[in-house]
Amino acid sequence: MTAAAAGLLGRLALSWLAVVAAAFLLLRLMPSDPVDVFLAHVNIRSGPEIVAAYRAQWGLDEPLATQFLHWLGGFVTFDWGVSFETGRPVAADFAARLPYSAVIGFGGMALAVTGGFALGFFAAHRPRGLADVLSRGLAVAGQALPAFAAGLVLLWVLGVQLRWIDVFGGGFIERILLPTLLVAFFSLGSMSRLTRAGFVEVKRSPYYWTALAKGRSETGALWHHGSTAGGLVLIAGLAPELAWIIGGTAVGEIVFGVPGVSERVVQAVNHRDYAILQPYIALVALWVALVLQGARLLRRTLDPRLP
Amino acid sequence: MTPSHLSRKLAAAAIAGAIITSATAHAEKVTIGQTFLASGLDAAEGSNGWALVSHGIAEQLFRVSREGEVVPNLAASATLNDDGAWTVELAPDRFFSDGAPVTAGAVAAALNRTGAANPSARATAGRLNFTAVDDDTLTVRTEHPTTILPSILAEWAFPIYRMEGDAPIFTGPFAVKSFQPGASIEMTPNAHYAGAEARPDVTLRRIADGQSLALAFASGEVDMAFNLPVETLAMLKATDGKIVSFPVAYQYMMWMNTRTPALSDPRVRRAIDLAVSREDLVTAAQAGVPATGAFAQGYPFAAPGPLSRDLDAAAALLDEAGWALGEDGVRMRNGERLALTLYAYPQRPDLVTFQPVIRAALAGIGIAVTTQVTESPSDVAASGAFDLFLWAQHTAPAGDPGLFLSLFFETDAARNYSGWSNAAYDALIAELRDEGDPEARIALARRAQEIIAAEAPVSFLVTPEWHVGLSLALADYEPWGSDYYVIRPDLATAR
Repeated sequence: MTAAAAGLLGRLALSWLAVVAAAFLLLRLMPSDPVDVFLAHVNIRSGPEIVAAYRAQWGLDEPLATQFLHWLGGFVTFDWGVSFETGRPVAADFAARLPYSAVIGFGGMALAVTGGFALGFFAAHRPRGLADVLSRGLAVAGQALPAFAAGLVLLWVLGVQLRWIDVFGGGFIERILLPTLLVAFFSLGSMSRLTRAGFVEVKRSPYYWTALAKGRSETGALWHHGSTAGGLVLIAGLAPELAWIIGGTAVGEIVFGVPGVSERVVQAVNHRDYAILQPYIALVALWVALVLQGARLLRRTLDPRLP
Repeated sequence: MTPSHLSRKLAAAAIAGAIITSATAHAEKVTIGQTFLASGLDAAEGSNGWALVSHGIAEQLFRVSREGEVVPNLAASATLNDDGAWTVELAPDRFFSDGAPVTAGAVAAALNRTGAANPSARATAGRLNFTAVDDDTLTVRTEHPTTILPSILAEWAFPIYRMEGDAPIFTGPFAVKSFQPGASIEMTPNAHYAGAEARPDVTLRRIADGQSLALAFASGEVDMAFNLPVETLAMLKATDGKIVSFPVAYQYMMWMNTRTPALSDPRVRRAIDLAVSREDLVTAAQAGVPATGAFAQGYPFAAPGPLSRDLDAAAALLDEAGWALGEDGVRMRNGERLALTLYAYPQRPDLVTFQPVIRAALAGIGIAVTTQVTESPSDVAASGAFDLFLWAQHTAPAGDPGLFLSLFFETDAARNYSGWSNAAYDALIAELRDEGDPEARIALARRAQEIIAAEAPVSFLVTPEWHVGLSLALADYEPWGSDYYVIRPDLATAR
């Protein structure tokens, strides 16, 4: 057991290291040099000595391997350096912004999972019923609607027309409510369709019909025999949704003016601020690896026959 | 007066009082939304200095006036000494927001600290060394000689502050009450700044997306929405308050790559400049005014203009240069078609809007244009891998023409994207660099623009306008100064 856990941790660490090393290189292959972008932005006379001063200040004058090792050592010891653009410590910046992003991302995912599971159950329970139609509609909307525009419509209706919510000036809950709903909305449909497929599969099985023959209600039989199957399919479907959770959090933060990490990263991309981008990618890689591994363990717990 | 009349009058008075109280209460606090916010309060870090001045928190020794002139602010005067050093006299009765007077010692400590920490403070004249002579007088020694120290001290990198431990204290009309990085700054009028009683408390809120900012203004959540996208203006017509448009100094222009065979001939470049309709570009962008030269019209050194459009003259210049009209409507010379690639970048959407307008205009004189959009404008411009490049640039950020005219046009200058070289121009800029008299500098800057216009390494196109939404509470406020002075001492609520 201990050897298996060590092996698992080792694989996780190696995957993470490969991802962050590749990201480190890819960032530096992006067109535009951070110093050039900064100097163009601040509109100052940019002679070679000023360029050299900034490159030295930002550690860009060192060989790439040295830069990577320096960054890696700093990251694991929580010394994440300072932003090129702002001069602020990156760790402090992330610490202040992470609560918003975490609540929006995890909250949106939790809402989508629980809502999708419930909707998928009722959709399977009554095919072509209200829940089924709603589930199908949400799935199509999730694929077809541009998230940014959907966010603006949400803002227009709830913030401008109805004025139910103080979107930009409210407290923490008011600030994160709409972005969380936006993230959940775009995952809810696909989650519910996946869950529905799991439950429908169970409805075709002999043990479901046996339960009905024994006098169990349709609802009770489907829930009793189908919840594990529905859950397994839903967990398997989480992986492709992770990309949306990350992207959707960024869209929500930008549209609703939430000072989260994702919104900061979009700024950092424009400024080629490696100091912000590199730890963000490292954190996202870690998060994705942990969620996938957690999902795998959960599936094996629910169904020990799975590899 | 009967009791019922009395009670009715009392009720009316109470209602009126409540309304006045409500209006006054609203006017005592305003929220300003904009797409950018200071990243921190340390003026020596990053580009914080620019944002802090823009927010009305910090001030420099000199500033750029509404008329585009460099004028004293915390300083009273600056004099160039015979030894090349400068003497700066401070203005009397200026205070930090904690009530401490602005002294030469405090100014020197702040600016020497900034100079050591921030390379941007060393950009124009190298390292500046500030020494307090007495409480009101400073000596400034510059690493490289300069005749324009006031303009340098009006650059964004030179706000005045005093460090109290880790906390900086500033001199601007508003003082920071609380700061949430990336989100908002709560500000209160600086009680030690003249006219404080007329200013409201201000919440400065960052809303990164322009469309969201417009909706925040429509919902009444912000009293001032700074720099609204032009496409949102129609929607906001029904909103209480008003929309004010004002010209900004971020000139739109088009570089012409003089290193390419076709554009190495000034006649071809002049023809292109003559073919472009600036009025059509303004119509396409739905805002702005035709450019007259390198600088927006508000600056004293702006070229008088207008820049003319003359298709016949353009065609004649191309004929003279040997480019004859082909059967397909595209000019040819020695079997080579006159076909050019025009770049723009999406970070400035107006420039992308300009592309088809310019392509149509140049097609009219027989030049085929292919349009390209790049996410990396600086890279493409610096590489020289373009024929024509649409560009936006603040051309006088510190109220002086020298920076732009030198940095973008002198032979081998760092950002001479067009690759243009002209000995007479270089000599003129050298003269401008050594000239200290403001009137003489204006004359030299205009002469430099005449040389540029004659050679056309660039075509100046449009002086854009930005749009600001103002609620009834701020209806009297007049935005100016691009994004360098968004919140100024005259920010007061309508009573």
